Amino acid sequence: MEALLDYAWVVVALPLLSAALIAMFGKQLPGGGSELGVASLGLAFLASAGIAWETFVNSPIEPVERALEWSPLGGGFVFELGILVDGLTAVMLLLVTTVSLMVHIYSREYMRGEPRFTYFFSMLSLFTFSMLVLVVANNLLLAVIGWELVGLCSFLLIGFYWEKKPNQDAANKAFLTTKFGDVGLIVGVIVLSAGMFELDTSTPFNILEINGAAAAGDLATGTIVLGMLLIFLGCVSKSGQMPLHVWLPDAMAGPTPVSALIHAATMVTAGVFLLARLYPVMAQSQAVMAVIAVVGVITLFFGGLLALVQDDLKKVLAYSTISQLGYMIAALGVGGYTASMFHLFTHGFFKALLFLGAGSLIHAVHSNNMSDMGGMARAMPHTFWTFIVGSLALAGFPLTAGFFSKDEILIAGDIWAGAGFATGALVYWIGLAAAFVTTFYMARVCFLVFAGENRSHHPPHESGKQMVGPLMLLAVLSIASGYLLSPFSPDQPNFETWMATPILDEDATFPFTEDGATEATGVQGDGVQAGGEVVAVEGAEGGPVSVLHGVPSWHPDLLAIVLGIFAVAIFLAYRFYGRGVPERDPTLRMGPVSTALVNKYGFDAFGYRFIVVPVRDTLSRWATYSSNHWLDGIVGGVGRATMSVAQSTYRVLDQRVIDGGVNGAAFSAAWWSERLKRIQSGDVQRYAGALVAGVIVLILAFIAVR
Amino acid sequence: MDPNTAGWALVVALFLPLVGAGLLALMPASMDRQIRLAAVGITAVAFALVVAITASFDFGRTGELQFVTDVGWITAIDARFIVAIDGISMPLFFLTYLLPLLCAIYTTKNLPAPGKPKAFLGLMLMLQTGMAGTFVAFDLILFFIFWELVLVPMFFMIGMWGGPRRDYASVKFFLYTLFGSVFMLIAFLAIYFQAGAETWSIQELSAMAPFGSSTFQTWAFLGMFLGFAIKVPMWPFHTWLPDAHTEAPTIGSVLLAGVLLKMGTYGFVRIALPLLPEGALRFAPIIGVLAVIGIIYGSLCCLAQTDVKRLIAFSSVGHMGFVMLGIAAMNEAGIQAALFGNIAHGVITGMLFFLAGSLHDRYHTREIAVIGGGMLKKIPKYGVMLTYVAIASLGLPGLAGFWGEFTAMWAAINPGLGLADDFQGLYLVLVVFAAIGTVLTAAYFLWLLQRINLGEPPAQWADEPLDDVKTIEWVSWTPLLLLVLALGIFPVLVFGVQDGAVSVLMGYLAG
Repeated sequence: MEALLDYAWVVVALPLLSAALIAMFGKQLPGGGSELGVASLGLAFLASAGIAWETFVNSPIEPVERALEWSPLGGGFVFELGILVDGLTAVMLLLVTTVSLMVHIYSREYMRGEPRFTYFFSMLSLFTFSMLVLVVANNLLLAVIGWELVGLCSFLLIGFYWEKKPNQDAANKAFLTTKFGDVGLIVGVIVLSAGMFELDTSTPFNILEINGAAAAGDLATGTIVLGMLLIFLGCVSKSGQMPLHVWLPDAMAGPTPVSALIHAATMVTAGVFLLARLYPVMAQSQAVMAVIAVVGVITLFFGGLLALVQDDLKKVLAYSTISQLGYMIAALGVGGYTASMFHLFTHGFFKALLFLGAGSLIHAVHSNNMSDMGGMARAMPHTFWTFIVGSLALAGFPLTAGFFSKDEILIAGDIWAGAGFATGALVYWIGLAAAFVTTFYMARVCFLVFAGENRSHHPPHESGKQMVGPLMLLAVLSIASGYLLSPFSPDQPNFETWMATPILDEDATFPFTEDGATEATGVQGDGVQAGGEVVAVEGAEGGPVSVLHGVPSWHPDLLAIVLGIFAVAIFLAYRFYGRGVPERDPTLRMGPVSTALVNKYGFDAFGYRFIVVPVRDTLSRWATYSSNHWLDGIVGGVGRATMSVAQSTYRVLDQRVIDGGVNGAAFSAAWWSERLKRIQSGDVQRYAGALVAGVIVLILAFIAVR
Repeated sequence: MDPNTAGWALVVALFLPLVGAGLLALMPASMDRQIRLAAVGITAVAFALVVAITASFDFGRTGELQFVTDVGWITAIDARFIVAIDGISMPLFFLTYLLPLLCAIYTTKNLPAPGKPKAFLGLMLMLQTGMAGTFVAFDLILFFIFWELVLVPMFFMIGMWGGPRRDYASVKFFLYTLFGSVFMLIAFLAIYFQAGAETWSIQELSAMAPFGSSTFQTWAFLGMFLGFAIKVPMWPFHTWLPDAHTEAPTIGSVLLAGVLLKMGTYGFVRIALPLLPEGALRFAPIIGVLAVIGIIYGSLCCLAQTDVKRLIAFSSVGHMGFVMLGIAAMNEAGIQAALFGNIAHGVITGMLFFLAGSLHDRYHTREIAVIGGGMLKKIPKYGVMLTYVAIASLGLPGLAGFWGEFTAMWAAINPGLGLADDFQGLYLVLVVFAAIGTVLTAAYFLWLLQRINLGEPPAQWADEPLDDVKTIEWVSWTPLLLLVLALGIFPVLVFGVQDGAVSVLMGYLAG
């Protein structure tokens, strides 16, 4: 089985193969090429499951790296095509292939009869390939390549219905907003690699080498801070963090399976994944972690609030994705490395479930709006109960996957707070508050969609097997995946040992927490390693904080708060929405708050007014004008000046002076000859007189010179 | 062929197009069809010969000159006829034989008014020898002659087969470039006399450099800078380019973007840098700043264009900015990036000009607003092709455009030859702005695609029968489309060939 890890590249190659085969032969096949996609993703899933199993049961494992020298880049540096397989990779492989397989199967039914059906499947496979490139990349340059390719696929799939302008605009907005963030990613990667130039390596992008150098203190602080903050800018745009989240709700213009795969479960988590990949670098700097935590906290709260006022079911889910990504990002910023990845993992399943469930509903009623739904529980029982499971998991109802993973994040915040970092308390309390918001808006969705009378214009019907099957499987995973790291988990293996690497092992601590190390070392030592008691670390203010937190214990206080939140939120949602759509939605009756939410805090309008319009309409015209009139004016001026010099040369110098000289010579010769000929009169006395006069003049001249 | 002895092969390949032009001249003008086929034959034979040269090229020692011919020529002024090829020349030389072949094939079916294939193809073949010569000449005088030889056929191509403002555009192209090359020639002369070695050989002079005080080098570099920067063109010397491209016939634009502009960057790398290292070092930050201004400025101009072809022309200003940023980095990775960007831009933008030309053939306009969208509905294969090439041009990884841009920025973060000591901050700013340029590039291409490709075709075109990609277009374009993908996936095809030669070059630069 060990050898399986060496062949992780096969998992990547399979979807590329199917993308190419579908594009070439898909139209001739009875299933329009979708069968090729399902088959290749099925195989990729099996291989990923094997890799996941292998890395999980033997965790923590040594990362396996296999690389080909692909191209020289100059100066002795090379670009490698390589894979890096460890627990982190395995988790992502499993998540991506599972959700992608489910989405491939689901789309066979959902997209039936669509024009460009084959193209759709080819793009789904191409997306999966690109995402897997990012996931297995052994170096940052290759990761950037995967990162950009998923962006392209996202663009093409958001704009899948490109006949309509709003969809085109949504696609462009998504691509350009994320591309703006990529400025940060690319420059950040370049800065980090430049930090490696001095370390005598030919592979300055290599992730393990960069992580190792950072952990060993071989990277300058400036390099780490600048590099990671820039890379974080890329993560902000890709992973829908405020204020660059604006593209994600619009991205819902794409077909719903695309929203499930790309804009919920996988691509948008790329930023979280990349930060986790570079965690040893990020963990060097308190400043970087604080920035990341604050951005995450802002997003998880304010992003969630936006879900309250939406009528479009997919937009509710989109804002909830933004909020949940905020949790993951915030977790990374408060030392919750495992917690963040764990939430990424469970969220991938339950959010894909919710989106596919939404797709099933939309398929049935031909509308995205909840005001066109209602009473769907009876008509679509399977969609109903799976959706409820997904909602509970998202809201963090006890014993679902979302409960365990979100609690891990809150606990991480608590530990961080205990070590004396304010951001920890921020994550804990605002995280709890946002959990209330989450529960409320999901309860609102469930009541509006499933309770009351049917308001749709189409008689709703349950979806077929290919759509319901994936829903059921994802529902199971939305509960089961949580038990990888819960108070029921063994010390080894569990999700945390799975995420551990030689750098991020149980001895790893955050270096900037080590100031008060002398009195706290012992405390930290037995606190964390002896089976998951985090109490000791919580008390160790100023002492080193471990990266890994151990198996979580029960937190009765937190459990009580969570249950309380649930009761209140569901009660309120029932009161407002239990009997169908209210006359005026209470979320729209909150005065200026509602106005702010409906206007999306003004971010979209601001971006359009102060970035898009000035660049597109003002700066561009100014540049063209200056090129055509000023710069070209100089060229034209030089040209005209040369011409006028030439003209004057011709008219004055040539025609008057030179040619004038020539003509003048002729004329003057005639003029003089006219006068001179009179001298030659043949009169001898005149000659003699002139001779005498000449002699006198000469004599006078001699005297004068003397 | 033995790359050590078969110098004749290179010389034959070099002059074959010129001889071909002579052969065309002998054919009676009435043999329209035969003339066009003959041109395909000539370019095909030349290309085959270059493929053979490439195949027997010793890729193990790309830093050395191969297929060398070095004979006395104008002994009175010490000029020698030195023609050879190394890893830096190879990719450009190859492109110079591929593009004319594709152009000749394309011309069998497409030739703008006033027709006259004999004159048109004859000029194209002359142009080919001129372009190829600049990439393989290793004697300054010989280089200069090929450099100037290029001007004449392009002048006539634009002036006779061009659009409505062809007279203005062709004269502007000719005079502007000539203006620059005068200063270049003066710099060559200055170096010759300063070196006092009675040789014009680029290799020998490179090995002897540096000569003269740093003031001398600065002035001499300024002269070359004017010559090369106008050709590239760098901002603010770019204004001849949009006019030349807009008015030039399709083939003229393809060759202009595909090969001609590369002569400028090649000149910087091959001549200006190794011969005048100190001057280059002084100019590097200035080049970097102008390059990045070009990237941003060119992209902004693209956003405001209403004519597809003019938009693509302005996009060249931005893309060549990345190439020059690589040169400004003054390290191996930067030169590699610049030369890769050269090739990638030649292939991608050459292809874009093919597409712009055929767009005009179909719609008889290039105004974005008049075309009005819906091309993916109306002519889907063409629409997909345009999307593909546009995406390559905006630098998507996996396609050719990425490597030149990314590597240029990467190289510029840590400029070589001690520049990092004084200008680290400046170069970081340059990298950031160059990266912002990639966003603007994406913006104008996506907006272009949205406005002409997507949506429903407007009423004006809805019932108009428009041809999708035709057979002749498939034949002449497929090699470029494949090359765009191949260079993106296998950057080693160019990086690997150049690697050794760039090392040698940097050896000259570092002294």
